[in-house]
Amino acid sequence: MFLNETQEEVRSTTRSFVNDVVRPAAEALDREERFPAEIYDEMGKLGLFGIAVPEELGGPGFDTLTYAVVMEELSRGYACVADQCGLVELISTLLVRHGTPEQRKMLPDVMAMKRKVAYCITEPEAGTDVSGIRTTAVRDGDGWVLNGGKIWIHNAPVADTGFVLARTDKEAGNRGMSIFIVDLHAKGVERGPKEHKMGQRASQVGALDFQDVRLGPDALLGEMNRGFHMMLSVLDKGRVGIAALAVGIAQAGLEAAVDYAGTRKQFCKHISEFQGVQWLLADMAKDIEAARLLVYSAAMKIDRGLDATRACSMAKCFAGDIAVARTADAVQVFGGSGYIRGFEVERLYRDAKITQIYEGTNQIQRMIIARELLRKGASA
Amino acid sequence: MKILVPVKRVVDYNVRVRVRPDGSGVELSNVKMSMNPFDEIALEEAVRLKEKGVATEVVVVSIGVPQVKDTLRTALAMGADRTILVHATDDVNQDIEPLAIAKILAKIVDAEKPQLVIAGKQAIDNDMNATGQMLAAALGWGQGTYASAVEIDEGAVLVTREVDGGLQTLRLKLPAVVTTDLRLNQPRYVALPAIMKARKKTIEEIDLAALGVDSAPRLTVLSTVEPAKRQAGVKVHSVDELISKLKNEAGVL
Repeated sequence: MFLNETQEEVRSTTRSFVNDVVRPAAEALDREERFPAEIYDEMGKLGLFGIAVPEELGGPGFDTLTYAVVMEELSRGYACVADQCGLVELISTLLVRHGTPEQRKMLPDVMAMKRKVAYCITEPEAGTDVSGIRTTAVRDGDGWVLNGGKIWIHNAPVADTGFVLARTDKEAGNRGMSIFIVDLHAKGVERGPKEHKMGQRASQVGALDFQDVRLGPDALLGEMNRGFHMMLSVLDKGRVGIAALAVGIAQAGLEAAVDYAGTRKQFCKHISEFQGVQWLLADMAKDIEAARLLVYSAAMKIDRGLDATRACSMAKCFAGDIAVARTADAVQVFGGSGYIRGFEVERLYRDAKITQIYEGTNQIQRMIIARELLRKGASA
Repeated sequence: MKILVPVKRVVDYNVRVRVRPDGSGVELSNVKMSMNPFDEIALEEAVRLKEKGVATEVVVVSIGVPQVKDTLRTALAMGADRTILVHATDDVNQDIEPLAIAKILAKIVDAEKPQLVIAGKQAIDNDMNATGQMLAAALGWGQGTYASAVEIDEGAVLVTREVDGGLQTLRLKLPAVVTTDLRLNQPRYVALPAIMKARKKTIEEIDLAALGVDSAPRLTVLSTVEPAKRQAGVKVHSVDELISKLKNEAGVL
């Protein structure tokens, strides 16, 4: 109803790919914690990375709403696959907006997943509060020397290129950080071991350590000392993406729960005939629909150039919270089976949890919503 | 070589089809529609022949309501060069019978002069399995139905057909009509950039009246009913009882 004919077609083509290729692979990928290179290869060919990259730069040039639709559909199959799409989307958006023509030349490889990227922000002392980063890039001739360490970096164990936020002016606070494009195969880059996570286990996450890594003059992305602001500029879109991802997880849980309730028999009838189970399903469906509409609304605000900060935080926070609550309900509908490895809903519940944490914790989202309310007034 | 691929917009195969309360047919309003899966296979085969350099142009034609344009956009995204919509009606519930479709397609073939028509063997809505055969008859062309392999060979097309007891290969002189079976190929997923590019291509529109074809229905639908619900099974207490039931009630022994 909210989507135009093109967006519907994108949804339907993504869905058939996900039904055939992604969703059947998710259980094994979770169990083996494996990077699904073969799926990413195919997604690259289908143009499922870099959704908003303009046509003249080799992308499909879709809007944020279409991106959100793709994220939900991918995540309905497997959240890790959606999160990889989200990561490439942020990196390619940064390259399109701030990259030099030379730097943008890597776009086709990034979108084909021939060059795997990592977005390197978080440090031991700088999680939600990015201003605490200690990684530094110090001027050295016409380039820089990079020192410091990053943790919990998505793709760190496998990535070729890092987009690294580093301090370039110690005195200037948020106005003293810059983003550098770093070859992760270069001398001085050490990768930590892969983290073993609760959920989204096919996403390879780990630490990166930089010791006197030499950066050339073309390593700086965008303007010097504007890294923090560049990062903020893609934050709204990132939040819409993660909100859509959370909706996709919850939607998969709803589908599984409805199917199961219609086939599982207890006391000589399908459990879907018990009102207690019906109410679980109804609550799941209405929260998921509400979250989806918040996602659409936030995405449309971005596409229309409106102030989208509050909408994006509301979508991310609500979608993450209901993804956890409603996948827990899906486990409940499955009863004991839902607690067993190998049942989709067990994985969905684990995969959902991180959506309350990454891309800004839901506590931070609430702070942002409140701050926006108090600053700009309560009217919608 | 030019290939013409006729496609039909049908209820999506994932939709649970419901009978209209008055029994006149199935519910078609507010239902997800998509390209008939056998037609997707036909289009995929045509596009592959083009990619191999065997065909030079793939033209897709569809006949029906203006909403068929959505299906034609998908065809463009899958690799069709051009598409034609024959605007036959504005009523989504009006089904145009195979004979009329075949006559309309024959007119399009006259105008487009393709060397090969590749069509789905049947549409998954009415399962008529007639249009391709009727079109071949109307044109006086050879026909190769239920194709599981298609190969172009010096002015002819080799069509492997799935028949009872094995595979049969026919050699048809071109021009010819081929209809596709399920195992001919696996249609591609449409790439996102192709969807965007397809938006910019135009869809040629022809009014049915301009073709001078009599499309009046020859068939009358008497009733449409849901399939009968499966009856619950019966538990038997002994082998003797089972044998007796198989003999006397089921009549299979």
